[in-house]
Amino acid sequence: MKSKVKTYSIERKQARYGFAFTLPCLLFFAFFSFYPIINAFITSLTNRRAIGRTWEFIGFENYAYLFTKENGGFSLMNSLRATGMFTLGCFIPMVVVSLLLAVLIMQLRKPGHKKFFELSYYIPAVLSSVVAATIWRIMFQPTGLINQMSNFIMFTTGKDYKWLTDNGMLMASTIIVYFWKYIGYFAILFITGLASIPPTIYEAAIVDGSSRWHTFWKITLPLLKPTVMLVSIMAMLQCLKTFSTQYMFVVGGTARKPIDVITMNIFYTGIRNGYLGRASAMSIVLFFIMLFFTYFQFATQKGGDDVEY
Amino acid sequence: MNNSYVGKVKAGEVITYIFLILIVAFVILPILFMLVASFMDARQIMAMPFRWIPSKDYFSSPTRTFFTNFIKAIRGNNNNNIFFRSMLNSLVVAITCAVTTVFFSALCGYGLAKFKFKGRNVVFMAIMSTMMIPFEAIMIPLYMVSKMLGIMNTLPGLIIPFAISAFGVFQMRQYLLTFPSEYLDASRVDGLGEFNIFLRIVLPNSTPVIATLGILSFRNQWDNLLWPMLCAQAEKLKTLPLYISGFAEEKQTDEGALMACALLASIPMFILFFTLSKYFLGGAAVFESRKG
Amino acid sequence: MKKVFIVMLLVLAFVVPMFAQGAQEAKKAEIDKTAPVTIVFWTHEDAARQKLEDQWMKEFMEAHPNVKIEVARYNAEGLRQNMQTAYAAGNGPTVWNLPIENSREYIENGLVAPVDYSIVGFKNADDMRAQYADGMIDAVYKDGNFYGVPLELTNWCIFLDKEVFRLAGLDPEKDYPKTWEDMVAVSKKIVKRDGDIITRRGFDFRYSYSLTYFVPMVEQLGGSLSEKDGCVNEEAWVKALTFMKNWGPSGENLGNSTLTAPRKLFNKHNLDIAMANTGLYQESRIATENPTFFNSGDWMVVPYPVFKDAVKNVAGCYYGHYYHVNSEATDLQQYWGWELIKYFLLTPGHAELYLTNVGLIQPLKTLMNGDVYKSMPYSEVFSSDFARAHIVYCGKGSAAIQSAIDTAINNVMLQGVDPKQAYKDLQKTVLEILND
Repeated sequence: MKSKVKTYSIERKQARYGFAFTLPCLLFFAFFSFYPIINAFITSLTNRRAIGRTWEFIGFENYAYLFTKENGGFSLMNSLRATGMFTLGCFIPMVVVSLLLAVLIMQLRKPGHKKFFELSYYIPAVLSSVVAATIWRIMFQPTGLINQMSNFIMFTTGKDYKWLTDNGMLMASTIIVYFWKYIGYFAILFITGLASIPPTIYEAAIVDGSSRWHTFWKITLPLLKPTVMLVSIMAMLQCLKTFSTQYMFVVGGTARKPIDVITMNIFYTGIRNGYLGRASAMSIVLFFIMLFFTYFQFATQKGGDDVEY
Repeated sequence: MNNSYVGKVKAGEVITYIFLILIVAFVILPILFMLVASFMDARQIMAMPFRWIPSKDYFSSPTRTFFTNFIKAIRGNNNNNIFFRSMLNSLVVAITCAVTTVFFSALCGYGLAKFKFKGRNVVFMAIMSTMMIPFEAIMIPLYMVSKMLGIMNTLPGLIIPFAISAFGVFQMRQYLLTFPSEYLDASRVDGLGEFNIFLRIVLPNSTPVIATLGILSFRNQWDNLLWPMLCAQAEKLKTLPLYISGFAEEKQTDEGALMACALLASIPMFILFFTLSKYFLGGAAVFESRKG
Repeated sequence: MKKVFIVMLLVLAFVVPMFAQGAQEAKKAEIDKTAPVTIVFWTHEDAARQKLEDQWMKEFMEAHPNVKIEVARYNAEGLRQNMQTAYAAGNGPTVWNLPIENSREYIENGLVAPVDYSIVGFKNADDMRAQYADGMIDAVYKDGNFYGVPLELTNWCIFLDKEVFRLAGLDPEKDYPKTWEDMVAVSKKIVKRDGDIITRRGFDFRYSYSLTYFVPMVEQLGGSLSEKDGCVNEEAWVKALTFMKNWGPSGENLGNSTLTAPRKLFNKHNLDIAMANTGLYQESRIATENPTFFNSGDWMVVPYPVFKDAVKNVAGCYYGHYYHVNSEATDLQQYWGWELIKYFLLTPGHAELYLTNVGLIQPLKTLMNGDVYKSMPYSEVFSSDFARAHIVYCGKGSAAIQSAIDTAINNVMLQGVDPKQAYKDLQKTVLEILND
């Protein structure tokens, strides 16, 4: 009886410490995350404008507006499409290529070479987005380097591939910038994942005489599956939140509509044009989209407990 | 092993290397371009065909020297010479955020991982959910909070809203879940207080994850554009991304100076990367945490 | 635990906005003008103007030691964003300026204080009106009061590089474009390409300012942009859009929106561009950036072209920057705000310095009829274009309408959309913005 009371009190004491340790964070998030989020949700139910001094609750009218109206030529539907295209166009090649790079690097025999490739691929991730977008915007000019290389590769002369002017090409350009910036980053993540596969399994496979391709397909990939799932969903979430690249391009003079991803639409609608209610509603929509994928992520993660990040 | 097998392996290796080197070329090309272009003037950068190795007279015309672009980049738009000030601000903000993020995330992550208390899961899920909100959406409420706290247009104003990251908490918790509890219990038996256990036992034994997390939050703040745009009103508070984007607008036609500016601004990050590459490549960091 | 948490959040959610708005609302009483006060002054970046105003602020603070001025300068886009956000948080600056098409909204919403005539030095609204050129300050007039003092009124004419003309075998004095049709013809002679890629342009537009340069073109053809009916006169709009289509890569390929802004290339005088559409301030920028070119006499300014079959002779719109005072600032701040504006703008000799050093025209009658203005090169071209122009559209949804028109122009020029279709989409969007 006595000992039971004692453990109980220790547990209580422990619990108090646990809570105390999380308290600074909780307070911080209360001010800088929870309050803003709640505020955003409440605002999404109003017709509030940045420079209006009165506003009223209008229920879910903003949401109805977003799904039916043009929003000054930059509709939510267009943004969902732009975000979707960007995400698909970016994260599929990114995951495939970075996985491939990781597998190839892992198979190199000389550690020095491994290190060299890892370092090289990672470099773009070190640059700030502003710098990255600035470099690429200059290279994408009609008289710039990329167009010259396109002409060289396609055996044409003096053709303008409209990297920044054609709607489709513009979208491709933003994808290239993003792909470039994060390919090494994700390759490194895969390498970490691959490193946790015991090398004995490879060796066994090689002794068995299975070809490398076979090894990869039958052994490495199934073992990597949880990592692949995790990394792709993270890549996807990151693509959904993309902002800087598109913003720097638009500020630099390209058309906004084809690359009007949802975060940019939120920014323009809310910050630039001051439709706070509507922009907040857009944010809530994005919130739910991301929530869906995160839930998805947690669901898939359960399959691979041994994967650790 | 017979010869044909070795030959096959060799051929495979050659192909592997070719592919890997091609990707290196793709990845490095823009950076080389930045490097070369930062010495050129705008017309040479846009010349067709582009010349990677500029002829000598590119550098020494009567109006240009080797460093013209760099001098322009440092002088800034109005000859106000705030480049190094901006770099210092960026460093201060990024380093402080890295330190606070690591400390408080570790503290919170430790609390969540190693203590049982009522509502723990609610707390955890609540913190996780903040990762889903895009920064653009909460900018205005955040502005109001900062104004209320009186940190608008101050250095703390640039730091405090990013002092802790939800992803940091997540990462720390995941890491500490596997931290051997016997260690902690032993310290308790030795009479160490809970906070001291955290300081002396938990923190020192978490260096890899601390380093990765620190680097990640450093990088995120180094990269942050939107919030400083709102918060840093005074010139002496400008950070590097602000400086570059302002410079880019004014010097639209001077691509050389722009590239010089970009190059100079990247140097601290390069130094950090090459000295701490082990932690950069450690790879524990996955999510981008909140940034503008 | 959960409950505590929720309560905490709710309290936060309601308390914070109260803090954010509570501070003001002290009624006008006698104010102590010598009490320490901080004035927050926000403006857009402009190197030449900054030099002048920094000096003046220093003088001002020396003369009034109780006043502290905190200045913040942003690029155009940054200023617009920060103004919106700051006002949204009830934290607008004391003294600020924005282009009139953006600041009009603030006036409509009561966020701008009416001019304090006695401080600034006018007897009343009518007296103020009488000091300025006709119609030039109407944009800040509302219900019997003016809500700002003009820093600059600017119209854009065509700057022309004579040497590029000569190189193309043209005589700049005779062959300069008088009509938009001339503009195409002249540009076709000047333009140089490597395949499809333009390496030299005759003229190019100032894309993304469509309210200023494009709406007047529509008006020349008989159309208009109205706050009630949107894009009036389909035929005129379609014709103007067709002209743009023809200008772009799918037509004559004379220019497009992603090439370097002509006004920035122009100063370099490196023969990449012959003509740019810009304001008088360009002169001081040429003088700073390229004095040799400025003094060579190799450039000139010609009027804004008109379509050959125009029904209305309109030049490019003029826009304005006015210094405003935040109506939510304290009385003391407002008082010193007006004092500062007066010191900047209406101190004898300052208007002339703004003109000669920065190239900004305050539409004061005394200035525009004075010798300094007349001595500015080609100022008569700007004056005569002022006379046949009107102020840029600054009514409801101007920013959104401008991006809608930009999109329409981009669609016909670069995406191959039929001008008729582009007009239909544009009108639909504009009406939706107006009915919002």
